[in-house]
Amino acid sequence: MAAISFDGLTKRYGGLTAVSNLRLEVAEGEILGFLGLNGAGKTTSIRMLLDLLRPTSGRASIFGHDCQADGLAARDHVGYLPSEMGIYPDLTGHQVLKLLGSLNHRAVEQKYVGELQERLTLPDSDLRRKLREYSSGMKRKLGIIQAFQADPPLLILDEPTEGLDPLMQDSFYELLADVQRRGRTVFFSSHVLSEVERMCQRVALLRQGELVLLSTVEECRKLAPRDVHVTFVADVAAPVGLPSTRVIQVSPRSWLLKVEGPLSPLLRELASLPVDDLKVSEVKLEDAVRHFYRGDAQ
Amino acid sequence: MTALLLHSLQRVRTLVVVIGLLLSLLQFILILVARSIENSGQFAQLATLLPPFVRALMGPAVTAFLSFGGIVSLGYFEPGVIFAVVGLSIAVGTRIALEVETGFIDLILARPVARHRMVTRAIVVSVVSLSFVVALMLAGTWIGLSTLVPDNVERPAAKLILGLAANLGLLGMAWSSIGLAIASASRRRGVAGGVAGVLALVTFLLDYIARLWEPAKAFAWLSPFTYFSPLDLVTGGELPMKNVVVLGGIAVGGFVAAYLLFLRRDISR
Repeated sequence: MAAISFDGLTKRYGGLTAVSNLRLEVAEGEILGFLGLNGAGKTTSIRMLLDLLRPTSGRASIFGHDCQADGLAARDHVGYLPSEMGIYPDLTGHQVLKLLGSLNHRAVEQKYVGELQERLTLPDSDLRRKLREYSSGMKRKLGIIQAFQADPPLLILDEPTEGLDPLMQDSFYELLADVQRRGRTVFFSSHVLSEVERMCQRVALLRQGELVLLSTVEECRKLAPRDVHVTFVADVAAPVGLPSTRVIQVSPRSWLLKVEGPLSPLLRELASLPVDDLKVSEVKLEDAVRHFYRGDAQ
Repeated sequence: MTALLLHSLQRVRTLVVVIGLLLSLLQFILILVARSIENSGQFAQLATLLPPFVRALMGPAVTAFLSFGGIVSLGYFEPGVIFAVVGLSIAVGTRIALEVETGFIDLILARPVARHRMVTRAIVVSVVSLSFVVALMLAGTWIGLSTLVPDNVERPAAKLILGLAANLGLLGMAWSSIGLAIASASRRRGVAGGVAGVLALVTFLLDYIARLWEPAKAFAWLSPFTYFSPLDLVTGGELPMKNVVVLGGIAVGGFVAAYLLFLRRDISR
C-alpha cells in the first residue's frame, strides 16, 4: 500500500489553478523530495493531504485512508513540520511539545524525545525557555522534535532544514536516514537540491501546479546545467563546438562554461590543454527548475 | 481535547481576569456611591438634575433608577460595562481567526483532531469566560452589599441583580457567537474583530437612536441590544422571555453558523 497517494488532485481558486490533476504515489519506506519554485503548488498539495485545504476535485490518501472522508485516521499516521511554526512566543518549548504530543493518538516516548533533543542539541534547559528567546534555528529544532516525537509512520516536512546550521543539517539527515531504516516514510519539500540528492530516492517536481517531473534523484540531477570554471597555465584559444555547452565568459587563460548533461566531452577536450584548475559548481535546484520553466524539458 | 481547552483558557485568562476584576471593582464603587447619596438623602434632587432627553429616554424608570437599588444595578447596564462585556465576548470569540492567522491551528489540525472540536472548544471558552466575568461582577455586588450597606437601607432584590446579570450574560454570549461565526470564515483576527466590533457599535447606536427617534423604531428589532432591557427590570419587571429567546437564539445561530463555516472552509493564511 502506498504511504501517500494523490489521485487527480486539483485545487482551484476562482480562475487560478494552484494544483492541477496531481497523480503521484509515495511508497512506504521511501524518502521523496517534493520540489518546485515558490507558488508551484507544493504547500497547497501538502495542505490538502492534511485536510487543511479541500480539493476542488480528485482525492488524496494516506495509507489508504482518504484525507478528507477519513481524515482523522489519515492524520493519525502523520508527523508534520510546517515551513513556519505558528507558535505562541510566551510558551516554553516543553509546553509546546506537551500540548502537541497530547493531541496525538500515539503515545510519545520520553526516551525517544530525549534522543531527538540530544541529536538536535536542544537540551531541557532550552526547552524550559520561552519561545520568544529562541533563535530561528532553535525553533526549527523544536519543530522537528514535535513532528518526530510520536514516531509516526509518515513524516511530512515542509522546508525542514531552513534555519539550521550545517552541523544541525547533518544531524537532521542522519535522523532521516535513521527513521527510514526503521521503515518510516518521508515526504519533504525543499529548495536545496544537495539535501534532496543526499536523502531522497526520488523527486517530484511541480510547475505551476502540474507535476512535470517524477524521477530518481540521479535522473533529475542530470537535467540541471552546471557552471564549469577552467583556468589555464598558458593562453589557449576559445572553445568551439563543445556539445551541450554554452560559453558564458572566455579569456586567454580562463573559461566559464555552462554544461548540460555529462562532463565527459568537456574533459576529453581539456585533456589536451594546459589546465591549471577546474571548478564545477554544485548543481542547484533552481538550475533544474529553471530548465523546466524554460519549457525545453520533457 | 482537554489539553487544548486548558491551553485556550490559559490564553485568555489574563484578559478575562482583568476585565472581571475591574467590573467587580466597579460594582463595589457604585455601592459606595449609592451609600453616599443615600446617607446624604440626595436621591430626590438628582432627578431634577437630569437633562430632559435623559428623562425622556428613561421614562418612568427614572424614579426607580434614582434609588439605592437603581445606582447599584447601574453596574450591569452602564455603557462602559456593556462595551467591556461585549468587547471581551468578541475578543474571545474571534480567537480562532488568530490561530489561523499565526498558523498555530495547522499544528493542531495536522494531528487527528476533528475541526468541530476547535469550534466546540471556542464555544466552551466563551461560555466559561463570560460566566466567570459575570460571576465576578455578582461577587463584587454581593460583597459590597454585605460589607458596605447599613441594615436600614433597602437593598436591591436578588432577582433584579440576577436578572440584569443574566440579560447581560446573554447579550455577551450573543456577541461572542457573532464574533465566532465571523472569525470562523476569516483569515485575520483583526478583520474578524473589526467587523464584529463595528457591527456591535452600529447596532448599539441603532438601539439608542430608536429609543429617541420614532422613525428608527421600525429597525430596532435588528439590534441585539434591543433585547437587553435593564430598565424593565429596574422598574420591577421580570426578565422578558423575548429577550432570553432572541439573545439565546442569536447565540445558538451564531454557534451553528460557526460550525458550518469552519467545517467547510480552507484553512490558509
